[in-house]
Amino acid sequence: MSPITIRLHIRVLRTLLNSIAVLAFFFCSDAAAAENQQTAVEGPTREKLVQLGERMYREGLLPSGKPITALVQGDIPVEGTTFTCVSCHVRSGIGSYEGGVVTLPTNGEILYRPFKDVRRFVTPGVGMIPYFKLPKIQAPPRPAYTDTTLATVLRTGIDPAGRQLDYVMPRYQLSDPDMNILIFYLKALSAQTSPGVTDTTIRFATVITEEVSPKERQEMLSVLNAIVIARNNAGKSKMDSQLPRWAGFSEDLSRSRRKISLAVWELKGPPGTWRSQLEQYYRKEPVFALLAGITTGEWKPVHEFSEANKIPCLFPITDFPVISSTDWYTQYISKGYYQEGEAVARFLGNMEDLSPEKAIVQLYQDTREGRALADGFRETWKTFDRRQPVDCVIKKGNPVTKEYLLQKALSKEKSAILLLWAGPEAYAALEAVAADANKPDMIYLSSSLLKDGFLAVPETVRAFTYITYPYRLGLEITPGKDLGKGSMGVRKDAPVPVATRNVAQKTGSSQSLLPEIFMMMMTNFYRDYMLDIIGMCGDMKDSPYERLSFGPGQRYASKGCYIVQLTPGANPAVVKKSDWVIH
Amino acid sequence: MKRRQALIILVSIVVLSSQGLAAEKKYQRTAEKYSVPDVSLVNQDGKKIPFKSYLETDKPVMVEFIYATCTTICPVLSAGFANLQRKMGADAVKIRLISISIDPENDTPQVMKDYLKKYTASPGWDFLSGKREDIDSVMRSFDAYVANKMYHLPLTLIRSPADGSWVRIKGLMGAADLQDELAQITK
Ligand code: HEC
Repeated sequence: MSPITIRLHIRVLRTLLNSIAVLAFFFCSDAAAAENQQTAVEGPTREKLVQLGERMYREGLLPSGKPITALVQGDIPVEGTTFTCVSCHVRSGIGSYEGGVVTLPTNGEILYRPFKDVRRFVTPGVGMIPYFKLPKIQAPPRPAYTDTTLATVLRTGIDPAGRQLDYVMPRYQLSDPDMNILIFYLKALSAQTSPGVTDTTIRFATVITEEVSPKERQEMLSVLNAIVIARNNAGKSKMDSQLPRWAGFSEDLSRSRRKISLAVWELKGPPGTWRSQLEQYYRKEPVFALLAGITTGEWKPVHEFSEANKIPCLFPITDFPVISSTDWYTQYISKGYYQEGEAVARFLGNMEDLSPEKAIVQLYQDTREGRALADGFRETWKTFDRRQPVDCVIKKGNPVTKEYLLQKALSKEKSAILLLWAGPEAYAALEAVAADANKPDMIYLSSSLLKDGFLAVPETVRAFTYITYPYRLGLEITPGKDLGKGSMGVRKDAPVPVATRNVAQKTGSSQSLLPEIFMMMMTNFYRDYMLDIIGMCGDMKDSPYERLSFGPGQRYASKGCYIVQLTPGANPAVVKKSDWVIH
Repeated sequence: MKRRQALIILVSIVVLSSQGLAAEKKYQRTAEKYSVPDVSLVNQDGKKIPFKSYLETDKPVMVEFIYATCTTICPVLSAGFANLQRKMGADAVKIRLISISIDPENDTPQVMKDYLKKYTASPGWDFLSGKREDIDSVMRSFDAYVANKMYHLPLTLIRSPADGSWVRIKGLMGAADLQDELAQITK
């Protein structure tokens, strides 16, 4: 075990003596006692208890499987199935700030210490709320909780200092055995600094798969290295000096300061072996989290590694993320190709004058790109009450010919809608289709597949061809107020050329959240908290995307994708046909 | 001196006992006139809702600003709506409850549908999202605009069907408070 680090992330315990006493008390007597008590009485293992407690905390279910019930605002009954501890105290238990209400931390480490000045705990920069604007005295001092007083506060809302908590905090009527399990869990929650953090350093790694081009690799690494250098060399950053000194905040911030180190984890060979390579890197040198990372293939093996080992991965550069509404540890920039298929489904699904029986032919090559686009469309289309698409899959490497299009794909359907997930090599076939009697009513293409050929869509089909465009239009990123976030030296004022999916831009804009994350994390170096913080970040408007947004549990920051059309001519204009987010 | 002590004791008893029963009234209530924009929003079924005319009904209307993944404030606001519907039973359709998303990026019809289901919403409670600009203009019209969703306020806006005037409630209410406020509008 690493040497016990006494975290003074709050100024509650000024003296070392005090801290040691409390920590010793917490680790030796209390936790052990609770554990003994539980194991002695009922016999479940520690693991089982944590699991049961976690279910209460996250899902609102009692060990019996029934929902927890409580009263909120004094007289509103709530069931655990609507919301529970995690909805307010967030996953790490460090708490949140929303709409003027501070949800206090509820992890054992903080509960079992006396609490002198609440403002020290409050996530300072949450959504960039100026620290000094927070309600001054949200919670007056209180002594350390014990198991008994903790059970009391959860049942009655009365804390050990006799204060009646805000009625936003529900009052929970739990039986003694259930209460013990919940308390056991709270003690284990964010109890230890996550691996990869020492008194001086936070270690990160970035994952690169070997087939990535030297150019893209360099683009990503230079941004990350700039972040590392800026962070490690900076004395006091501009942001620090703007913080109110009276709050003691800047001292806390400097105490939380760590150098950051960045290892490059290069993955070689087939994706099936990546997981074990990752485990090996990790065993050699544990990291707190993965930053960015890049592959031309699927992120899945890395995603699964993160999920299994509870290691956050922030904004990997990949067109093939794992699509999941429940996984926690990987925060993506977008859903990649999948999102473009999804956008087309929503666009068509909302077309009021489109008959529910309208035939849709989805033609794609059996490639990762093709499958991701087709999946995105198909899965989203299911949520509409409309006729299912006909899929035509072409072998990888086989061209889309006019014969195939006319005699196979479109032969059975009159005036269909054609989703053609192919690149510019299909243009000749499209021209032929335009001249045919059985031409489709509409054609949909993906700009990410067309790449540089995006603006060269044949003029004969432009009038009825729609293209997905998952970036901001008029791709110029002008310096503005939001640039405060780029304070670690990433320049974001260079215009982005159309059709360049610039790795540097993507890395730079997404990783520009890091200073804010560090600031808000203070010394709460818990991996779950890092992700909780991202969930509290404000929207970001200066990126290659129209908007990146965040929220608790939201894992794809870019939610939109335009559907556009091209005007006639050699230098066509790109015309929006949809909103950024299609509802 | 004695009288003062007695007074303190009396006050403490009152305070303590009322705290034991229900939340003290901590919210602010003001009478307002609002003119809302004529925008088209979308509900949990993907149906377009002409917002202005949707409000102009002969039922009392309650509006709240929330988002599906919001912590603390929204769960409590929504639990209030859910509880009100449950208490009203079959009469729930006699009022119109509207939750408006302030995170339209994420709150698609599917997300909103799942959210309402979680809160066992019955007909008469709609969750509306829409274009960013339209949502912004709706927020502005209720003097509720926030650039960052984390800043948003716990607001409940109640429209009287009699004259289209509004009551603006800032702060979180209990179940009894909510029913009181509704009763005042309808009486
Ligand atoms: C609807 C939001 C909400 C939910 C759900 C909720 N809490 Fe809280 N909790 C709060 C708020 C807000 C406070 C701070 C109240 C105050 O300062 O007056 C709080 C305070 C607490 C405190 C007191 C902390 C201290 O330092 O005194 C504990 C302990 C706690 N909550 C545990 C829990 C647990 C365990 C659950 C689930 C069984 C839970 N809470 C569910 C909002 C919530």
